[in-house]
Amino acid sequence: MKIAIVVQRYGADISGGAELHARYIAERLARYADVRVLTTCARDYLTWRNEFPPGVDRLNGIAVERFRVSCERDAAEFGLRSVHVFSRRHSLDDELDWLASQGPTSPTLLDRLSQGRDEFDFVLLFCARYFHAYHGARIIPERAVLVPTAERDPALGMAMFRPIFRGVRAIMYNSPEEQLLIRAAASNDHVPGVVVGIGSEIPAAVEPARARAKFDLAGRYVVYVGRIDANKGCAELFDFYTRYAAERSDAPTLVLIGRPVLEIPKHPFIKHIGFVDDPDKFDVVAGATALVMPSYCESLSMVALEAWALGRPVIANAHCDVLLGQCLRSNGGLYYANAEEFGAVLDRLLADAVLVDRLGRNGRQFYEQHYSWAVIERKYLDMFAFLSSNAPTHRMEQMPGWFARRVRSLRPAAQVLDELPSGPALDADDGGSGRSAPQGQGAIA
Amino acid sequence: MDHNQGRRGHFHRGRRGPDRRGPERRQGAPPDQGNRPERTDRVDVEQIMRDIRTRIAQRSGIELSNQQIQDLAARRLEAILDPRGLKPELLDQLRRSAGERPVSVDVVTPGSAQSYPFDEATLYDSPNALLRFIRKLLQPILRMMFNPTPIAHALALQSRLNAEIAAREAERDRRQAEWNALHYEILQRLALEVSRGAIESQNLVLRVESLAAKVDFNERRVRSIEGTQVRARPQEPVQTAQPVPSVPSEGAAPLPQVVAIQPGDAPRRRRRRRRGRRGPGMTVPAEASASAPLPPGAVVEQDDVEGEDGFEDEVAPEPLDAMESTTVSEPIAEAAPVTSSEPIIPSEAITSSGVITPSAPVTSSEPLSSSEPIAAVEPLATAETAAPHEEPSSPAEPDHQDGQVNE
Repeated sequence: MKIAIVVQRYGADISGGAELHARYIAERLARYADVRVLTTCARDYLTWRNEFPPGVDRLNGIAVERFRVSCERDAAEFGLRSVHVFSRRHSLDDELDWLASQGPTSPTLLDRLSQGRDEFDFVLLFCARYFHAYHGARIIPERAVLVPTAERDPALGMAMFRPIFRGVRAIMYNSPEEQLLIRAAASNDHVPGVVVGIGSEIPAAVEPARARAKFDLAGRYVVYVGRIDANKGCAELFDFYTRYAAERSDAPTLVLIGRPVLEIPKHPFIKHIGFVDDPDKFDVVAGATALVMPSYCESLSMVALEAWALGRPVIANAHCDVLLGQCLRSNGGLYYANAEEFGAVLDRLLADAVLVDRLGRNGRQFYEQHYSWAVIERKYLDMFAFLSSNAPTHRMEQMPGWFARRVRSLRPAAQVLDELPSGPALDADDGGSGRSAPQGQGAIA
Repeated sequence: MDHNQGRRGHFHRGRRGPDRRGPERRQGAPPDQGNRPERTDRVDVEQIMRDIRTRIAQRSGIELSNQQIQDLAARRLEAILDPRGLKPELLDQLRRSAGERPVSVDVVTPGSAQSYPFDEATLYDSPNALLRFIRKLLQPILRMMFNPTPIAHALALQSRLNAEIAAREAERDRRQAEWNALHYEILQRLALEVSRGAIESQNLVLRVESLAAKVDFNERRVRSIEGTQVRARPQEPVQTAQPVPSVPSEGAAPLPQVVAIQPGDAPRRRRRRRRGRRGPGMTVPAEASASAPLPPGAVVEQDDVEGEDGFEDEVAPEPLDAMESTTVSEPIAEAAPVTSSEPIIPSEAITSSGVITPSAPVTSSEPLSSSEPIAAVEPLATAETAAPHEEPSSPAEPDHQDGQVNE
């Protein structure tokens, strides 16, 4: 079996969620199939500047083909187009222009996909919202397996993505919430899909004491891991935390791991230790009272899963459906919707070590049950086997004609998104134990 | 700064406000989803969060959002600026001036009509060049008729004055507008704070009421336990008190002392009850309680006799004789008289559980057992010596202490 993985960026030092997801999947599936990665030469997701040399490369035993990005992203233009399609009545052409302005536009990558139509059995397209995934799905829909990594973002309300969700061969979802959201947006129940998610390379043993000594972490602390960015809810986290710490002399330290995009407030209890390597990260998380996830929009939080894998509870933003759903389904974390709840949750965890322990144990069990690599691999292989043994039952819808694309008949994407159902999928399963059949019209079950 | 302002409201199990999310709610998982994983360790996150939210709600009392408080404040603002009580259109003026401050500043500019330059030549000026030329030509003839120079000077001066006045007026308007805006802002905030304060005081009142109810309930509970204790006293083995002759010179209350004696003969710890723990309507006067007939076999305790009018060791105002006769004579007549001068040594029979059979069912939380100290009559000397060991009992003392027999 030959599998192509198409992703916007790829590299050992690229730690973005979807990119890391793609790399992990590539390396795991390489044990069972001939895997080839098709990606761009970009390293920076804001500019898509060509930084890697084009051509074939190998990374951890995986062949990586890189293609040049034809033009860098113009942030101003992209912002204007985003405002237009998100908040005004617009046409399909406007959406396609938005997609091109978002990038990474790489016609050569699409040409390669077109030429290799018969070369690959399946093409895993990562990140539905990007140029390569959209056009890649249109080029080879019969082999396209989409990993949407979609979150509750206005882009999901755009009309151009609906045929993609309805036309690809299968979809690998990250969470039940994502699945429900996409199904509600695109009415694609007939497309085989399964909630898979992603595992992580959890070390067999961790040394919290070593991390404490290395980073001078005294006393109890909670940790945030990820890009320190207002878009990730960090501004709100700082606000809530400083208000909490102002009322308590024994507040736990807030330890921040990651590159700051946002200015970190100078506070005696906030400690930024920068970007650290994986062993340090796991050691710090393992020694924390809890991991804080303040993000409003997540398709799947890998650090939350890692914290659970390490037996630590998670304090999640209750406004994020996915995190909330995971907390509720796993019984492995608490959540907050405002500053008072944030403080109360912290107080509760700090006062009750038994509860922390139990939440951590539940989280670990949740991780092992749904996100261990054996489970993830099995789901992918089951899906491929299912698709191989069943002929496609649906086709990709044709692109509308020249005039139809220019008619301003599409509603603002944000408005469309608002009408989609929300909230955690309380009774859902995060994919079961790996034996569940792919879902959809052609599903086995 | 309220960071929740403008955000979605209270979030509960995925229900979101319509501002960001649609009105639809998810109805759970798709039908082809598998079963939910088993919950381990009996931690229910939803229950914990419910508890946390309940506690927050209790702590903050009546839950009102910032918007609701502002609405309330707006209503109060209307009331404060009641047109009947103040200038009729004050509120409108304030609002208008608060809103149109920049306009009022910009409209009046001293450089427009008022500051039109005026001098001697202005009299003969004209946009028409020919006319200007003719006037200039005929100017000497006009000067022969009258002197236009003072007129030109006066008009120039007036023009300058007009400009200055206009500038002053504009400045005054600007300041007034700023003051108006400031006043309106202050009033608005004042009303907001008053509303907030009123809500908070309302919460506090409710809380005080709740606490008072709790105190009342606890008092009743204490009394019921004490009553139960009295009824629970065994009839036979208990040595009841003997009327004691008054010993006025000793100072110690020479009342019948029915106290518990620890088998180990440990010094007795007596409970001291603070004045005023019971509500005014709840207090039973010592006389009343003393004169009330007691059931046969009941043991009259010091606490019961003393009433609730002060610390135990305070001297009772009643005459001792009266106390003795009313308290002890009739109800305890059946019991064997015990002289107070002789200490009662608890016998084996008394301390054994087989002998102590409560005549009434014991409703106390701690049932009697063989290890329980047994009530006995303590000599007066013991009472006196025990006095220094008295410790005031905390109001928050657990009730089961009141129910112990050795009290």
